[in-house]
Amino acid sequence: MNLVIIDYGMGNLKSLGSALKYLNVENVVISNDHKTIKEADKLLLPGVGSFVSAMNKIKDLSLDKTLDQVVLKDKKPILGICLGMQLLCNYSEEDGGAQGLGYVDAECRKFNEENLKVPHVGFNQVILNSNTKLYDGLNKENDFYFVHSYRLQSDENINQSYCNYKEDFIASFEQSNIIGTQFHPEFSQTNGLKVLKNFIGKF
Amino acid sequence: MAFSLDELIVLNASKDKKKIEEFAKTLERIVEDVFIPIAAGGGITSIEDAKLLFNSGADKLVLNSLLNNNQEIVRQIVKQYGSQSVIASIDYKTIDGNNVIFINDGKERVDMSLRQYIEHVQNLGVGELYLNSIDKDGTGFGYDFDTIDQVANSIKIPLIIAGGAGNESHLIEGLKREKVDAVATANLFNFVGNGLPNARKKIIEENLNIARWI
Repeated sequence: MNLVIIDYGMGNLKSLGSALKYLNVENVVISNDHKTIKEADKLLLPGVGSFVSAMNKIKDLSLDKTLDQVVLKDKKPILGICLGMQLLCNYSEEDGGAQGLGYVDAECRKFNEENLKVPHVGFNQVILNSNTKLYDGLNKENDFYFVHSYRLQSDENINQSYCNYKEDFIASFEQSNIIGTQFHPEFSQTNGLKVLKNFIGKF
Repeated sequence: MAFSLDELIVLNASKDKKKIEEFAKTLERIVEDVFIPIAAGGGITSIEDAKLLFNSGADKLVLNSLLNNNQEIVRQIVKQYGSQSVIASIDYKTIDGNNVIFINDGKERVDMSLRQYIEHVQNLGVGELYLNSIDKDGTGFGYDFDTIDQVANSIKIPLIIAGGAGNESHLIEGLKREKVDAVATANLFNFVGNGLPNARKKIIEENLNIARWI
């Protein structure tokens, strides 16, 4: 299997790479090359940092068009992690606001800061709404590692799982081949390794 | 050992000229086997240093002297990598009943009260605060809860307490405080026998808010 971690110059790709290595995934390529991405079996869209900067970098590299083809037409499984998950959605209000890739009908808004420490950092409990492939072998409630100031909201019923930080927010979604986790599986010990293993083996 | 932790902090404590390249190489090796966030720090003086450590696998940076010495670079790092990637580390000593801030490995005093300094670093946009009592550090006698309780209310970002933990009861005492988000330990008990896994087990038995793994 050929797994490509999309490198658009934001965030730490090393941890994700070493988690996949630990899971014995043979062909892991970190790349922003269009041909490589088109030939991938599965894609990972990681990312830490600002939504606007990330979208700008994706557009500068014309990765948005390539992703449209690979994700929407070819239906290759893609897992967006943290900012990567947010980028798969319509819009974020971060830094004055920007459009995302628009594959999932959801928007990112900042946590209401009153009496709340933002960013939301650390392990927190993720509660599943439904049994899904992504959480195979895990419990109904599992701890995962979060670090984010913006959280996903949607009018659509896409919250496969949710997390509570003074309010419920979407912790992950699974829309056929398009999957996103607000938490970082690569930093979530054995729980996270299971999620990554499920993404690799079951999609 | 890493399987008992939520996060790992790796500090370059070499006292002579801090060789950040060597430290970055060490970091790269650590990242390969650790599936929790790694915060790295010690001797970061420029945006290039920050970039090097992030590229070597750091998920967060721990900044200390830079918070006082060059606010502009701190702001740049925050802007580029996000506030969630920056931990402000504050070292203080209690002298004649006053908490005095020290930077540069405890060698240089900062002319600001602890409260003022906490406000100062929060204004730089950092994401977390790592509060270390130099007096307690290495003693194993427990955290400096007097000071922690005094200043906790002025802290608006996640607070990690450090300095003094010597056994699991200290960790539990810290985690029971509403304003304390995390407890850090570099004590010997981490490295002897099953010190850390046992501590984690006891914290879970106390029903404190800590992650459970399958």
